[in-house]
Amino acid sequence: MARLPDDVPARPPLPVKMVIAGGFGVGKTTTVASISEIAPLTTEASITSVAAGVDDLTHTPQKTTTTVALDFGCVTLDPTLKLYLFGTPGQERFGFMWDDLVEGALGGLVIVDTRRLDDCYAAVDYFEHRDIPFAVAVNAFDGQVEHDLGDVRWALDVRDNVPLTVFDARERGSVRDALLVVLEHALARAGG
Amino acid sequence: MTAGEAPSGSAADDAYPEPCPGSYPQPHPEPHTEPVRPASAVRPFLLTAGRVAGGESLVPPIPVETQVVATSGGIAALDTFAFEHRDIVAVCQEPLSLAEIAAKLRMHLNVIRVLADDLRVDGRLTLHLPQGNPARDASVLRRVIDGLRAVPDSRGARRDY
Ligand SMILES: Nc1nc2c(ncn2[C@@H]2O[C@H](COP(=O)(O)OP(=O)(O)OP(=O)(O)O)[C@@H](O)[C@H]2O)c(=O)[nH]1
Ligand SMILES: [Mg+2]
Repeated sequence: MARLPDDVPARPPLPVKMVIAGGFGVGKTTTVASISEIAPLTTEASITSVAAGVDDLTHTPQKTTTTVALDFGCVTLDPTLKLYLFGTPGQERFGFMWDDLVEGALGGLVIVDTRRLDDCYAAVDYFEHRDIPFAVAVNAFDGQVEHDLGDVRWALDVRDNVPLTVFDARERGSVRDALLVVLEHALARAGG
Repeated sequence: MTAGEAPSGSAADDAYPEPCPGSYPQPHPEPHTEPVRPASAVRPFLLTAGRVAGGESLVPPIPVETQVVATSGGIAALDTFAFEHRDIVAVCQEPLSLAEIAAKLRMHLNVIRVLADDLRVDGRLTLHLPQGNPARDASVLRRVIDGLRAVPDSRGARRDY
């Protein structure tokens, strides 16, 4: 049996991550579960949220630290490269600050349910503000998309270069392709 | 496993033999095989003596994808640790991200951050922090794209083009 010399720990893969965001019940957990090689795990994490309004007297944003459940999955792309996926709840009342999670992320996928488009504004604003490459993915619940994509783009008011796609959160190939849309967009921006 | 399955008998598998039951004192009657146990009854921040990673801390938090690996010294000393420390070292016999550790042990991510860093200082764990910004690295992005395209859909079809 081959033994590594003592004190030489197993060499870890290069970790990369993507963030799956969106409003309540849009299919974030389903998306992570469809592609993850492990059953999706839930991690408690703290986020620092800044309330959308400001305190009238001091004009300082109201900061609160909230514990949230983070969906978490991974895909071993090869023995030296591992993709982590983090599903993050979006709370519309807060301009959320996922800085800690999003730092170094390859990109974000914002999932929308066309019946409740405004639930995803916080995530769209966040990725735009942080200048993180992202795509908007309409989860076609039961194959139905109630609006055409042009209307969705207009309603979300995302820049023309932000990719917009339709996917099925329950289908691994569909989730894979949605993630690829984000990555191709990120690659184009990185000058690849 | 959906993609990139490591060849069986990889170095990571062979690196650390199973602890020999006879060689360690066994302070706990139950065998330590259950990967997930109920969340700790102890309030999380008591474990860290009130220290909190992230949140309002000025120190940038350790990234969630940081890879954590037990050192051989850490594994050798496994049974000398208190519960949480032991569990962390035990699950890190193969590289795991901080997020995975938190999820597997059902502990708060920020608690894991603090405890893992303590164990690193004590030489029990090695932490591999991500280097650079992979989001701006076209060669990393290309590798991820190629790797993901090879992931089959549920009917086994790859995205090759
Ligand atoms: N029919 C159908 N149901 C879906 C689809 N995607 C998700 N669902 C269901 O919609 C519900 C919500 O999906 P989740 O994946 O839990 O959504 P989420 O965004 O994680 O929800 P929260 O974490 O509660 O915000 C679940 O019951 C899913 O089974 C879809 O594409 N089609
Ligand atoms: Mg969920």
